[in-house]
Formats: sequence, C-alpha cells, structure tokens
Amino acid sequence: MPILEAQHLCKTFHKPHAEAEGVAAVRGVDLAVESGEFVAITGASGSGKSTLLHMLGGITRPSSGRVLLEGVDLAGLDDDALALVRRRRIGFVFQRYNLLPELSLLENVALPLVLDGVAEQTCDTAAAAALEAVGMAHRGGHRPDALSGGEQQRGAVARALVTNPAIVLADEPTGALDSINARRVIELLQHLVADRGQTVVLVTHDAATAAAAGRTVRVRDGLIESDSHPPHGRPTTEALGS
Amino acid sequence: MRLERLLVRQWWNRPGRALATVASVAVAVGAVVATWVSADASRTGYRSLTEAIDGVPVVDVVSRGGGRFEAAGVPSLVDIPGVRAVVPLFYRPTLLRVGEKRVREIAVGVDVESLVATGLLTLSAGRACFGPEEAVLETSLANSLGLALGDEILFFARRRIRRMEVVGLADRQAIGWFAEGAGVITDIQALSEMSRALGFLDRVRIAITPEGSRKRVLAGVAAALPEPLLAEIPAGKASMAEDVLHSADLGLDFVTGLTVAMAWFIVGNAMLMNVTERRRGFSLMQLLGATVKQVRRLIVGEAALLGGVGAVLGAAAGWLAAKPIAAGISQALQAPLEALQFNPFILPVAILMGIVVAVAAAWWPSREATDADLLEGLSVAPAPPPRGISWRFVSVVLALAAVAAIVQGLVITEVLPPRMAVPGGIVLLLAFVALTPLVLPWIARGLAALAPRRFRIETKLALEQILRQPIRTALTSGVLVVAVTNGVGLGHAIRDNVDNVLGWYARLMQADWVLMHAGVVSAGGDGGDSEAGSAEAEVAALPGVRSVAGIGVAVGRVAGIACVVVARDLPADEPLPLEAVSASEAEVRAALNRGDAVAGTVLARRTGIKPGDEVAVEVFGRTTTVRIAALVIDYTSGGASLHVRRDVARRLFGLDAADVLLVKAAPGQVSALRQPLELIAEEHALLLRSFGDLQVFIDTVVKGVVSSLWAILGLGFVVGSLGVANTVTMNVLEKQRTLGLLRAVGMTSRQVTLVVVLESLILGIAGSLIGLFGGITTALFIQLSSQPLLGHPIEAKFRPEVIAANLAAAVVVAVVAAWLPARRAARLDLLQAISAE
Repeated sequence: MPILEAQHLCKTFHKPHAEAEGVAAVRGVDLAVESGEFVAITGASGSGKSTLLHMLGGITRPSSGRVLLEGVDLAGLDDDALALVRRRRIGFVFQRYNLLPELSLLENVALPLVLDGVAEQTCDTAAAAALEAVGMAHRGGHRPDALSGGEQQRGAVARALVTNPAIVLADEPTGALDSINARRVIELLQHLVADRGQTVVLVTHDAATAAAAGRTVRVRDGLIESDSHPPHGRPTTEALGS
Repeated sequence: MRLERLLVRQWWNRPGRALATVASVAVAVGAVVATWVSADASRTGYRSLTEAIDGVPVVDVVSRGGGRFEAAGVPSLVDIPGVRAVVPLFYRPTLLRVGEKRVREIAVGVDVESLVATGLLTLSAGRACFGPEEAVLETSLANSLGLALGDEILFFARRRIRRMEVVGLADRQAIGWFAEGAGVITDIQALSEMSRALGFLDRVRIAITPEGSRKRVLAGVAAALPEPLLAEIPAGKASMAEDVLHSADLGLDFVTGLTVAMAWFIVGNAMLMNVTERRRGFSLMQLLGATVKQVRRLIVGEAALLGGVGAVLGAAAGWLAAKPIAAGISQALQAPLEALQFNPFILPVAILMGIVVAVAAAWWPSREATDADLLEGLSVAPAPPPRGISWRFVSVVLALAAVAAIVQGLVITEVLPPRMAVPGGIVLLLAFVALTPLVLPWIARGLAALAPRRFRIETKLALEQILRQPIRTALTSGVLVVAVTNGVGLGHAIRDNVDNVLGWYARLMQADWVLMHAGVVSAGGDGGDSEAGSAEAEVAALPGVRSVAGIGVAVGRVAGIACVVVARDLPADEPLPLEAVSASEAEVRAALNRGDAVAGTVLARRTGIKPGDEVAVEVFGRTTTVRIAALVIDYTSGGASLHVRRDVARRLFGLDAADVLLVKAAPGQVSALRQPLELIAEEHALLLRSFGDLQVFIDTVVKGVVSSLWAILGLGFVVGSLGVANTVTMNVLEKQRTLGLLRAVGMTSRQVTLVVVLESLILGIAGSLIGLFGGITTALFIQLSSQPLLGHPIEAKFRPEVIAANLAAAVVVAVVAAWLPARRAARLDLLQAISAE
C-alpha cells in the first residue's frame, strides 16, 4: 500500500471579493508514493507543483479529491487532527528554512516534540540526535542568524526528522542556497532515503536536484505531465487524458 | 524547552515590542486609576462644597398627609447604612419676652444633650439644655436681645408662660442643618409637653455619614417607613450648588467611562500589533503541528502575563499621578485634602480590569493569527486586507447607533434613570470609533491631497501605510477620537449647564446687597414677621436705597411632593427674575399679577402638573388651591419650587415673612450703603452679602467644578498622547523592514522622519474631525439626558474656543507622539532593518 496517495486532487484559488472564476492551480492529480521512495516533483514556475505538495502535507485543503497518508484521509480530519498529523507523521523543509529566530538551532529542532508535550530531556536528546544525523550537532547552541544558509537548511532537515515522520516533504529546499550547499542538502536527503528508508518528496524546478531523486514527477498546468517510475505501472494523468 | 519559553525568547529577542505592550497596558490602567481617583476626588470635593452651603446632608421623615405624627410610629432607622444619626424634631412658633422686648421666634425641640454628645452640635458657649426651664439660643439672636449665659427669658406657648434660663449659645452655622429659621432650642420633651402634643413630632431629621449616599439613605428609609410616613429630601436642603454639580457629576461618569473605552483601544491596538508582528512564527508553529488551541493559549497566556505586569505598573503610576491631580482638584473646589477618600478597591479592580482587557484584546488577534492561511502567514509580506466599505462594519455602526438611540430615548422618556445615559453615551462613542475605518480613508485622502507638493512622495507613503491597515488605523485614531469626543462633548455640555445656572442666578439676584438668614426657609406661618421682614422698612428708609424687594420662602407640598414656595415682590419696572418655558415674560407677569402661580420645571416633572392646572398647595398646614400659569426654569431647591407674588402668598398661605431682602442702591451709592446695612443686619441677626461677595462665591463654585473637569479631560489627552506614541512606536518597530528598504533605495533620514510624522498627523487630524462630530453629538446626548432631571432643555451653544482647543491639542499630541518613533525610524541600521523578520 502506498504510504501517501493523492486521488483526483484539485485546487482552485479564488481572490477575495472577486466575481470571476478562480484560478485552477491543480486540476485532478493522482499520485502514489511508496515507503522509502525519493520523489521529485518538478515543473515550471506556476505549474502547480508547490500547491500539490502543500495539499499532500495537509497545509492546504484540496478543493476536491483526497489525500491518504498511511491510509488516513487528510480531508476528513478537522484542523486539530490535521495539526497532529503534521506534527507526528510529516516533516517539512522549506525554501526559506523558517527557523524561529528567537530559538537556538537545537530548540528549533526540538520544537515539534515540545508541541507534542514530550519531556524536555527527551526533546533535547532527540533534537541532538537529529542534528547529529545531519552533521550539525556542533552548531546546536547557535541562533539561526549566526548560521549560514546551508547550515540553517540542514537544521531545518533535522527538525523535519526529529519526530521520525512517515514522510518528509521539502519545498524547493535548495532554492535559496549556493550550489555547494545545495548539493550538500540533496546528498543529505539521499542518505536519509538510502540509510534510514525515509520517504522524501521534494519540489524543485532545478533539473539537477530532481535528478538526485529516484523518481521524477513532472507537473504542467496543474496536471502530471510525466512520471519517471509510476508504481505498479499506474497510468499518469497525461496517459488518462491522452 | 517548554513552549512558554518561546515567549520569553521572543521578549528577549525584541524587548521593545514586549515593553511597548506592557507600556500600553500600563498607560491604559494608569489612566483608568488616575481618572477614577480624580473623579472620586471631584465628587468628594463637590460633596464638601455642597455641605459647606447646605450643612450636614440630611433626609427627613414627615407625615404623608402633612402635620404632626406619633413618635411611636417611627421605626428604628439608625441601622440603615449611611445613617449617622436620627434626630426627632418638634417645631413651635413662640413669642419671647426679654424685659420690654418681644420677639416672635421659632423654637425647635430636640434632644440637645445627645446632639452635643455625638458632635452633631457644637455650642459656642455654655452647655446643653435639659428640661422645661432651660434653652439654648442662636448667638446672633441672643446678641440682638442683649442676652448672656444665665439670663432669663419668658417663653410664651399656648397661653402658658414659661421662664427659661439661657444655658447655651450656638452659632447659626452649627444649628442650621436641623433648625433652619429657628432661634430658640429647647428640650424636645419639654417643648412638646408645653404644646400639649407629647409623643408627637413634626419631623425626624436623619443625618448622613460623610461617605453615605443621600439617595441610598433616602431609599433605605423610605423602605422602612410605614404607610402614613414619607421620606424626603427637605426642600430647602436641595441647594443650588448640588444642582450645579449634578451635570458635572454626570460628566464625571462619562469621563470615567470614556477613559475605560480609551484604555480598551490602547490595549487592543497594542495586542493586535504584538500578535500581528509575529504572525510568521505562529503560522510556522501551526505548520509544524501546533494546534489552534495551543497557539491561542500561548497568545492569550502571554497577554495575561504582560497585561498583569502592565496593570500593576500602571495602577501604581496612576495612583501616584492621581495624588497631585486630586490635590489640585481639592484646591480648586476648596475642599480639604484630608476629606478626599480614595476607594481602596480602585487598585485591585483596575489591575483585574487591565488583565481582563489585555486577554480580551488578545483574543481577536489570536483568532486572526490561527484562522489565517498558513502559507499566507508564512510570507514576508502578507496580502493587505481588502479595501472598500465593509458591510460588517456598517452593520456594527448602525447597530451601536441604534442601541445608543434606544437607550437615550428610554432615558428621555424616564423609563431608564438618567445615569443610564452613561453606558448609552459610551455605546454611541463606540459607534463613532467603528465608523472610523469607513470614513477615515476618505478623510485621509482628502488631507493628503492638501499636503504641499514637495512632500508628495512622503505623503503618498504615509497615506499608503494608513490605508493598508484599516483596523489598526481605526484603533490608533480611535484613541484620539475618544479624547476629542471627551473634550468637545463635555466641554460643551459643562459650559452650557454652568451658563444656564449662572444665567438663572443673575436673573434671581438682581441686587447690589442681599440680607438674609443663614437658613432662608421660614419654618412656620404664624411666626409673623421674620427679622428680615421687620428690617425691610428700615432698609427701604435708608438714603441711597433705590428699591427693596423681599423674598419669602416657605416649605410646602404639592401633590405630596415637597417643594419650596417662593413669594417675591415683582416691581413692574424691573425685569422678571424668572425665565418661563413656552410663555412670554408679559404673559407670566400678567398671570402672577392675577394671583396665579408658576412652577419650577422639576416640580412640574415630579408632580405631573401642567400650565392651566389647578393644584392644592399645602403651606404651614394650610391647603389652598392655586392655578399654575406657566413653568419656569428655576434651580431654587433643585427646581422643586412654586412662585407667587408676595401679596398673593400673604393672602393664600399667610406667608408674610421676607426671608431675603434684595437691595438695589441708587447710582453711586453701593459702597455708601454698606455701613448702615451692616448695622441693620447686626440688629436683626441677618447676614449681609454684597452682590460681589455672592458673585465671587458662585464663581468659586463654578471655577472649581470646571477646573476639576478640565483637569480630568487634560489627563485624558495625556493618556491619549501616550497611547498614540506607544502605537506609533510599535508601528515603527513592525515596519522597520519597510522603512529600512526605503532608506536602502535612497530615502533620506529626514524623509523617513517625515513619513512617520505625516502618518501620525493625518491620523491625528482625521481622528479629531471624527471626534469633533462625536463630541457635538455627545454634548447633545448629555443635554438630553439632563432634561428629565432638570425638567427643561438646556440651550446648546456652539463653542469655537472649545473646539479649537481640542483640535489643536489632538494635532499637537499626534505630532509630538510620532516624533521620537520617527527619529528612531530614521536612525535604523539598514542591514539590520532589511534582515528583520
């Protein structure tokens, strides 16, 4: 069974107070991700790839269709239940790192556990282990503004891993990094998949980054244009439409 | 790490924001405490002023049908809260004979020993009288009769003659509160026995404690009395001063209520900015799995903590600030500072209010923060709220205005008590503040269009900042709207009320000299000529006197309601001293000449009498029917008055006394009359006052009241400026990235300063204009609310000086408040500003 599955996902954005029809960012996507897969979703700017990722992560609710994470329909969950899923089963990595400037790197990494009410000592131990896993243990006491972009992003990856999530979703994780740091982050994600069997789905518009993933799904105009390794020979949206 | 530690880190990271939030609560709570204490000081001062004129505040128990009643029928009243003493009284007109001199006097029977023992009566000489053969005399009466302690008088009562020894002397001021008009004080049992009315009383006078409320005591006594008895405020005691102060008292309630409203705006704005600035952090927390409840609890918990700290600091600061203000008010009202009583509950209540307001104010932004789209919340520059008219706001404005109008209508129709006008007025004010987001963009655009062209860019940026955040803008200018509404509204209402009373007084006291008793109300009809009456002929005979007008005043009752009957000479060549409602002076004069009466508007309101009605008037136990020709604006005895010509009063009620003599001097003779009038006053135990003395006295009262209210209004402006300064500071903190970017692309420090100052200036002017509209409406609101109490409308005048002062103050406050934050914005470190997240 896929660990993550999208069925006929659609998302239309409506401008407030606008009479006109909304903009369809995602127009009926079916996608299945198996456990331990490293999937890259690519596409041009405005193709709908980030919106698709946000729906997969329960950040944005779809206009129609379903997202099943470990068999649970995210659309059927209320806001608090969805928050619990995000906290415990999904790890997020963002382009702009999104570390809280007030907290040290270690505290930022521990934050999802703190939100979960885990004991302080356990939080710190788990956060230190996550930082160790991304090679940032020595920088745990520093504030984000004292770290380079690459270091912050590795810290963000550690935060995504700290709860041992079912899946890590990364939105343009190398978009704000120089090529060396970008390569380090991608290598880190590759190791997570290879060594820990971590499922990773990342969105990127960079072909080199996408090439690092085991499977590439190309999105265009809100539809999946191609899928390099569809599981079980599942037909792509393009195939359905053609 | 506990989640709460995140807050501590945020405070530590951005101490300015946390401090500004605490400061906002401190300013708001400090304002409430200072206003509250100052208002209390004013009230205490008013009471002290009233007592200085009235004597001890009292409530009377009398027979419902008039006349005497059995003492045994009066229940125990001493345990009613606010009651200081219960004093049974028995009056008896009598004739005193001292040698060859005979004097008609009023004797009052009272338990003299107890009064002296409890400190309610201080004798100037001698001791308390006891038994049928002793008496205490009013000092000036004793002097005029040449009596000293130990001398004897012959006391005539009911064809019996009693020999009495003068054992004590008391000044008029000391006995005025229970023996107005009486000069002889005897033991109550002895006097009632002499009158063959043992066990009967004329009235029971209830003295009220300094902190007691006359209204509450009146209600408590009324509830305790059996059907034949009635509790009332004696007509002669409801003095003019109290009525002058009534509107001021209502004004104090308004000011206190509006300060609380202002506190809400200040705290609300601070909390809104405090949360909005950190929206990214809260969105990120939610994205990482924080539940809505967790985030809201964090925000509200922080508000409670910061609110608590701010409230404690503010309460202390407000308390300290209030002391000198209260001292100034007490000085203005000539009340001793030690008489000011500070309510000990003010501090805990204000602190609790600060916390509650902070939590309530944080609730809405916490909802906004958690309801926002997570991705939108994460963006560096979130989309501005939609512009244009929000029908939700229009509905709120209309609903609030409708509630205010309904409350006002119910107050005018007396379904609700006048004091309910205060919450009604505050609701109206909220309607004006809610109106702000709707009209402010138009006003701001209009003002921006008037800016000099060389400041075009700065004006455009300032305008953009205003229009971008309509709610915050409304809350910031709301502080000024409240301050200006306060200033303009109360400034107009108070001046109109004071002018109304002064106008009445000027009409009433058309004289150069006034001769009167300390207590001017005649106590009995068969007392014959009073001292003022017998002095009348002597005064009229003095060279240099142009005219003498006598005024007789007696306690009466119309339709069961206590009133004073005023009998007055009305010379044809003098203007009528009464201002009629809906009738001309000629019509009123003609009616009075026919023998009709005119009624004060308050008496008419209380009794329901109308012009043309014939009413039964009881004076000195005699009931006579008179026709009411018109209603007049009058503050004598709080407007519960009935006016007739003096000759008519003599015929109808047997009221022949002239308790007050108004003396007009021939041209150039005013000063020359002082000495002969002093001699007459001394001989007849009367008080002599020049018109100048009375004018100074009235001016002192009025100035004291007006000064105290202006002091409190000034306090409102100081608070408003602190609130605006704090808001602008937080604004600058929040916008430091934008301002840094402006600097980075080439804007000079001076231009950045100008942008911030212009923004505040536009807000200040816009807020002032809305406040001006609100203030004039509030003034009308207060006038209409006072109408049921006064029984007549008060002319509302447009006062440019009040408006100009308030507008100028608001604009100065806006500019001064923005200056420091503007300088701070101009000095921002560019890199730090641009990297601010």
